[in-house]
This record gives sequence, C-alpha cells and structure tokens, in this order.
Amino acid sequence: MPDSDEPGMIANRIEKVRAKREAGSERRHFELDDRGFNEVPKKWRKFYRHWEGDGDTLGPNEIICPVCKVVIRSVKELRPGDRLYCMPCMSRLLVVEADDGTLTTEVVY
Amino acid sequence: MADFLSQYSIQRWLEMCPQGYLEDTVYGHSPELKEPDIVVDNELLREESIRTTVQLVVGERCALAASSGLVNAAPDFPSKRFLATQTLDEARHVEICTRRLFDLGVKEEDLESTIDDFVNPNLVKFAEVLLEKVSDGDFIAGVVGQNIVLEGMAFSVFEMLEAVSKQGNPKFAETLSGTIADERRHVGFGENRIGSLIREHPERKADVEKMQAEMTYHMLATFSDSFRGNRAAVEETRAIAVAEGAEADTAEWHGTDLASASPEDMEAVLADTVLGEFKTRLNRIGLEYQSPPVPA
Repeated sequence: MPDSDEPGMIANRIEKVRAKREAGSERRHFELDDRGFNEVPKKWRKFYRHWEGDGDTLGPNEIICPVCKVVIRSVKELRPGDRLYCMPCMSRLLVVEADDGTLTTEVVY
Repeated sequence: MADFLSQYSIQRWLEMCPQGYLEDTVYGHSPELKEPDIVVDNELLREESIRTTVQLVVGERCALAASSGLVNAAPDFPSKRFLATQTLDEARHVEICTRRLFDLGVKEEDLESTIDDFVNPNLVKFAEVLLEKVSDGDFIAGVVGQNIVLEGMAFSVFEMLEAVSKQGNPKFAETLSGTIADERRHVGFGENRIGSLIREHPERKADVEKMQAEMTYHMLATFSDSFRGNRAAVEETRAIAVAEGAEADTAEWHGTDLASASPEDMEAVLADTVLGEFKTRLNRIGLEYQSPPVPA
C-alpha cells in the first residue's frame, strides 16, 4: 500500500530521474582534425578554422568568435556557461543562449 | 590589472607570426607568386592598383605611427609589450604594401611623389584625428582610434579586397590574408584592453565617442571618393580584370557579388559592414556609436 507521502515521493523521484537523465545525457565528443588554420602554434591549430561564408554551417561543438570571426572548435558539444579562449585574438569568451535558443558568446573583459 | 594581459608575450607573437603563418613567405606571400601580367601591363589596371595600394600604405603608416606612439603612453608593461609587437606588424604592413607599389612599377625614387599624387585627402584627415590623440599621450582614445576604428575599418577593407583578389591575384590575396591575421590580434587587444579600462574611466566616454564620429566621417568620405567619385575607373578596371582573369567573375562578400555590383552597391556594402562592426564592438566595450554627418 502506498503511504500518504506517495505523490510527493513520486514527484521527487521524477525530478531525480530527470536530473539524472540530464546529467547522464553526456555531451557528444568530437575528434578534431587540422583544417589548415595556421594563425596559432601547431598544437592548437585543430581548435580553430576559418568561416567559409555563405553555405558554411557550425557544428554543435563550434562557435564564431565575435571579436575576430574565426570558428572556435571544442572537443565536446558546447553548452551555455562554457568558457572558451580565442587564441587568434586572445579573447576570453562565455557561451550563452541567445533569445532564439541558439548559442552565442559574450566577451569577458 | 586584468590577468588576460599576461598572454601578451613576445614569445607567443613569435610562435604565431614569424614561425606560423609568415613562415616561408617573402613580403607576405609565397615566393613563386607575382602580380598578374595584365595588372602590370594594362595602364588603367596598373594605375588603379597603385591608387588602391597607396591608400593601404598611408593607412599602415598611420597605424605604425600610432602603435609606436602608444607604447610610451601605455599604463602597463604587458600593453607596452603587445604594442611593440603591433608596431612591428604595422611596419611589416608598410613594407609589404610599399613593395607592392614597386612590383607595380613605381620607381623607388618616385615613391613619395606617387603617394602624394594618389592619396585620398580624406584618409589623411582620418589619420590626423587619430595621431593628434596619440601625440597627446591619450592612451584610451588612441587605442580606440587605432585598434577599434582604424583596425576595424582595415579588417573589412582587407577582407573585401581579398575576396576580389582570391581567384585572379593570389599574390595580393596571400599578402592580405597575413595582414588580416595580424588584425585579429590588434582588434582583440583593442577590445580587451579598452573594455576593462573604460569601466575604470567612464568620464572619458564622451571625448572618445567624439573622436570616433570624426574618424567615421572622414572614413565614409574616403569610401565615397573611392567608389562613387571614381565610378568610371572602378567599372572599367573591373570589366578588364574579370575579362582577363585577374578578378573572379563572381566574388560574394556579405551577400553582395562584388564582381557585378555597381560602385554605389560596393560602397554601401563596405560602409554598412564597417559601421555595423563599429557599433557592435563599441557597444561591447561600453561606448555608444556616434553617427557622423553624412559626407556630401
């Protein structure tokens, strides 16, 4: 027989499951290849590429630096709150969610 | 002092530039590349290429004077160090643009008179507004004028020229590509350093914004002279360059095909791009873009 706390307990369990699922929805990881970006020392080149203009698209692990316009690439899927460093222009960035739900960045001064 | 300043090291600059994208280049391009024959042999194309390159030389000379002048005005050593590397970047830009003039047939003894003949007077006024702040030792205004206004303009102008040159003039496109890579650091320094300084000195905003409006006025007047005021030459040189393969038959840039756009449309897309960037960058560092009066 369920006791009187059952609704609260279920709600609590659902929350726990949801939190666990969200925590467990591990970010996708990406193998980065060198895209010919030669504006930083060799060991960091795979973390950047040039934006190719119309027709180019960003992957879930990529975002454009608002200061210098290069594409920053991460080994994992990006999420709000992530901190990034743009080596080509030496800017520190914070990933945030824009009004339309897409990810963008703010420069941290 | 923000700890981001510690990354401005000469060692990092060496790894990124001379040992990075400039490795194996000669005057900013692969050694085997040269100006296309049609650009050197066709008098109109040659003259317009000289005209364009003279503006680059004058802009880079201004940047060299400003960045070297700002070394002494900088309030901290990391900024001095960064500006020392920028000074060398700008000196290199002056050199490679001057070298292009020689490659286009300008004789060394005619360099200064050629610059005097072709320079746009509005670009000279643009430079004078900036250099007055630098000679006053005004670090905040100087960095905004140099690293946000001048470099922001150069960033877009170089990108536009690179888009036009990529197919038909790889030598010039490579030279521009290395310059754009340098500009990334310069605009980054401008935003990051002033972004923190302007918060400490909000009383400086009005004066800096006034300088930005003045510089923007002269910049727009320069664009107007270069496109609308030079319509016949712009259209004729482009037609010849496209026909002879020295320019791409399509060159998409910010939604405009530069190979077929009218001089008015080219001026509009350049001005719109630069002003859009000014507004965004200034807003990010806590300054408000000031619209200048529209040049006649």
